[in-house]
Amino acid sequence: MFEHDLLIIGAGLAGMRAAVEAVRRGANAAMITKVHPVRSHSNAAQGGINAALTDRGDDWTDHALDTIKGSDYLADQDAVEVMCSEAGQALIELEHMGVIFSRDDQGKLGTRRFGGQKAARTFFVGAITGQAMLHVLYEQVIKANVRVYEEWFVTSLIVEDGVCHGAVALDIRNGELHTIRAKAVVMAAGGAGRVYEPSTNALICTGDGYALAYRAGAPLMDMEMVQYHPTTLASNGVLISEAARGEGAYLLNSKGDRFMLKYAPEYKELASRDVVSRSEQTEINEGRGVNGCVLLDMRHLGREVVEKKLGYLQEVAHDFVGIDLAETPIPIRPGMHYMMGGIKTDVNGATPLPGLYAAGEVANVSVHGGNRLGANSLLDTVVFGRRSAVAGIEYGTSVRNMPKNEDQRKADQARIRQLMDRPKGPRPAAVRRELAETMHNGVAVFRDQKGMEAAAARVREIRSEYEKVSIDDKGKVFNTDLVFALELGYVIDTAEAICVSALTRKESRGAHYRTDMPRRDDANWLKHILVRAGDDGEAPKVDFSPVSITRWQPVERKY
Amino acid sequence: MKYAWWPGCVARGATPELYTSTVAVLERLGIEVEEMHDFSCTGAGVLQERNRKLGDTLNVRNFAIAEKQGLPIMTICSTCQGVMSQAHQRVMRDPEYLKEINGVIAEEGLAYRGTTVIKHLLWILVEEFGVEELKKRFVRDLSCLSVAPFYGCYLLRPSDALGYDRVPARETSLDRVIEATGARLIDFAGKRKCCGFPILLINQDNSLKMVANHTGAAKDDGADAMVTPCPLCHLNLDGYQDKAARKNRPDGRKIDLPIIHFPQLIGLAMGIEPDELGFKKHMVSTRDMLARLKEQAAAVR
Amino acid sequence: MQATVRVRRHNTEAPAVHGKLQEFKFDVSENTTVLDALIKVREEIDGTLGVRCSCRASICGSCGMRVNGQARLACKTKLTDVSRDGAPITVEPMGNMPVIKDLITDMGIFWGKIRQVEPYLQPAGPEPKGEYIASDESMAHLVGVMNCIMCGACVSDCTALEVDSTFIGPAALAKAYRFVADPRDGATQDRLGTLNERSGIWDCTRCYYCVQVCPKGVAPMERIMKMRDLAMEAGYNNTSGSRHTKSFAKSVKKGGLLNETMLAVESTGWLNVPGQMAQAPIGIKSLLKGKLPNPLGHRIKARKHIRRVFDKVEGESK
Repeated sequence: MFEHDLLIIGAGLAGMRAAVEAVRRGANAAMITKVHPVRSHSNAAQGGINAALTDRGDDWTDHALDTIKGSDYLADQDAVEVMCSEAGQALIELEHMGVIFSRDDQGKLGTRRFGGQKAARTFFVGAITGQAMLHVLYEQVIKANVRVYEEWFVTSLIVEDGVCHGAVALDIRNGELHTIRAKAVVMAAGGAGRVYEPSTNALICTGDGYALAYRAGAPLMDMEMVQYHPTTLASNGVLISEAARGEGAYLLNSKGDRFMLKYAPEYKELASRDVVSRSEQTEINEGRGVNGCVLLDMRHLGREVVEKKLGYLQEVAHDFVGIDLAETPIPIRPGMHYMMGGIKTDVNGATPLPGLYAAGEVANVSVHGGNRLGANSLLDTVVFGRRSAVAGIEYGTSVRNMPKNEDQRKADQARIRQLMDRPKGPRPAAVRRELAETMHNGVAVFRDQKGMEAAAARVREIRSEYEKVSIDDKGKVFNTDLVFALELGYVIDTAEAICVSALTRKESRGAHYRTDMPRRDDANWLKHILVRAGDDGEAPKVDFSPVSITRWQPVERKY
Repeated sequence: MKYAWWPGCVARGATPELYTSTVAVLERLGIEVEEMHDFSCTGAGVLQERNRKLGDTLNVRNFAIAEKQGLPIMTICSTCQGVMSQAHQRVMRDPEYLKEINGVIAEEGLAYRGTTVIKHLLWILVEEFGVEELKKRFVRDLSCLSVAPFYGCYLLRPSDALGYDRVPARETSLDRVIEATGARLIDFAGKRKCCGFPILLINQDNSLKMVANHTGAAKDDGADAMVTPCPLCHLNLDGYQDKAARKNRPDGRKIDLPIIHFPQLIGLAMGIEPDELGFKKHMVSTRDMLARLKEQAAAVR
Repeated sequence: MQATVRVRRHNTEAPAVHGKLQEFKFDVSENTTVLDALIKVREEIDGTLGVRCSCRASICGSCGMRVNGQARLACKTKLTDVSRDGAPITVEPMGNMPVIKDLITDMGIFWGKIRQVEPYLQPAGPEPKGEYIASDESMAHLVGVMNCIMCGACVSDCTALEVDSTFIGPAALAKAYRFVADPRDGATQDRLGTLNERSGIWDCTRCYYCVQVCPKGVAPMERIMKMRDLAMEAGYNNTSGSRHTKSFAKSVKKGGLLNETMLAVESTGWLNVPGQMAQAPIGIKSLLKGKLPNPLGHRIKARKHIRRVFDKVEGESK
């Protein structure tokens, strides 16, 4: 019998921050994670974490404005205010936990510049900030002795009478399905990079959280806002951090021109990511690319900067491309990287589904709106991870009765049985790849009606094909084949929500750029798009919600 | 080719048979050496642990002495080789560091310019003398013997300091020499592992387990002898074999695997008399192994 | 080009393959990694193959496994690097850990050892309002050891762990170093004291396997050696290990060469009668064979230069 005050799904930065907070407050909290906590994809974040520290003469409202402008004014300003005003405290907390942030010559926390921001307020650890933070959070999890259901895979949320009461999960090691009841659940299962190909994301980023919440009846908001990171490797999609540009790297086309001077005269290479990705793609499409890429040039930074501040990038460049960044520019191109869209939450992580909270990439508060600034994601995870735990525990004190039945588990058991018993059909990996390529072709950097419709139609077809997907492994012990097949279902749900939302938004804003509707239309479209799962085979339901505007009136976005 | 020969501390102390067998082999192969009486102990990793710069300075001093005489260094100990190679790599990668060290040895009139090559006798024989040339000098029939190699950690790792990326064939150098002598190669699992010598005086239980594991495994796989290019490995695998067996083998049964030094193997194959090679000095008796060889030779005649 | 990959299967639910080395052949390119090959097997040939992997970019630490007998990160290992001229490569699970399925090991032992070293910052005194002040140099120094992605390669191939499962092991000791070297941590003295005990820093056999196999250049053994030095500096001198190091240095300083007989006696400890008696037999045996090294040690002519080097370099570090 597994029962908790707070059940956190996902043990990345947001999940672990929530868990540590919960245990500090004396709650009976636990995390479920399908991989060991330090394997979570938070470890791949490289560049840094933003915070405006007042003792340096920085102002969090500047950070807030940069964020809101970066979001193309789709971010909810009250949420951005919360995040930016709490950033300083969140950063110091991390440093006190032990994160080995870089220092200036006074021994105080050092900064680097990052995209979309005038001030240098990105705090960092070489080019491994995410990993450095994730490992320290895990140290805190060990210290607090948090209960972890390690290598357990969530198959459903438990919802009864419109209230979330926990989750059903598969213990991957032995194939047993379990009901875990909780007064409140925090969904912190991360992003959905595997919906696209190529992607910087890990193999585990299969949109589990979006799909689970979607199936449980929670709305997914602004799913069309998919961030393509400007600098990813062509061969395998691996990320080359924005930190390189933060340290001064240039983007060059085949003619050796710094083309960003044209597209973003003021911010140049450090314009917002959607602007940079579109600029690169334009250069490539217009024949000024180099084998489908542009070049990221770090030679003028000098070897010492490259080795000391961007060490991990040297490792990646050496391992995967065989070059020395201090001597040779590296070919890169835009690659799918981050989901701005996600489960709708308020500033306390509460979703419209009572009992369900969400934090981190999977959530959409919205602080990132139509485009996320680099180094705001790490901040988002710890600020809202903490807040969700606080709110979830508070909510939990009012929960009296929890259902005792095993209905959801039995339903999931039957579903798994059915999947295992299918005759030989298509392999999950092949179906996923096709879906991911479809999404990359139709709903990527440049979109239009025809392309999106084609993608949406193919996704629907793939959903039917999914019913025939079979798995080789019929065993119980560590059946990753089964897990992949279940994950594929999540990938499809996530893709569907993205397509529906993308077709709905009839303007260009942030990362959603339509060549057939290139202008931003605040009068009609300054609003959030919500997608809810249709009942039983019906089409998904679309709804809207207003954008919170506190101090900053939307204006045209120029870099 | 003439070499600056560094016999190491142990070859003239606890394993004198290594010294005598090396001399015997070098003479017969016509390899000219000048013994470096001014060299200090390389530190064996222990001094480096205490103060890395101290260890590096002592080694750079050794390199400078050889360089002054225009000679490459020859080692006969895996540990000396490894320690020297690592020190060399460190100073070559960091000119400032080398400058500091040269500042210390300047008082003796020494200054290292970076040209000294350091090679173990095993590598010299395989790479410079050549296996084919060696085979020509191998006159004794060792085909009745099965021999297991034991390289010694410091000759293998870290591989980038020891030139394995430049000379990949070095990985199997000892294996190939064994094969060249006509003996049967016993390619057992532990040949690249640790003999336990560094913790002999610190955690003897663990050290003895390693001895028992590796000599036991080789013996179980059919080895009549084990050959090692490191006298420290020899000390542990030979000197402590009986105790290791008593504590770790089923029924405490002896393993009885003679551990021979690399030059002793070469010497045997070249037909040198076992006494000249110092076989009587071993703790684990080589008598049976040598008797087999004698029988083999007699049978052929 | 063609690659042949042999995978050690371990699957109690599939007796037909359990324990066998299963061979897969396929076409690969110059840059294909071992992980690419395994994923291909899993996706297209045999979906029952068990392998942990996630990021494909050597940052998550999931895909540790033995390739041709040595622990590596599969996503960072090109097939062409481990297979000369298309020779078959063998892929097995990491060592020193129980196997759950195929290449998936139970890393419980690994994590247990990490927990053993109290792997979280323990600052002394009241928390400052802002950040702890620390030099960039001190933080930059920690990046090297923070690069550890907990993949398990070092633990897999550690020869000390192979004979003694109580040894704390390279990963945990490297992690311990991360705190010992962090100026903000207030527990250094206690940490070093604990690590100085049985199964700690002195049980490392200095075989360099962990340094060799670490995919991130963490060099655990170097950290362990550094902690030995720090432990002695902190006053922890009552171990055979510290006596060993001191004796070694003393004889080299005095005569330029090692005094093996004294080393054996002094490491054990003059007053350690049972210890001295335990090593008497080998001493006697050596004496009888004429190879007991002179207890007075050897002295080289140039020993005054050696002494000078010691004085100068050790004097610098003070």
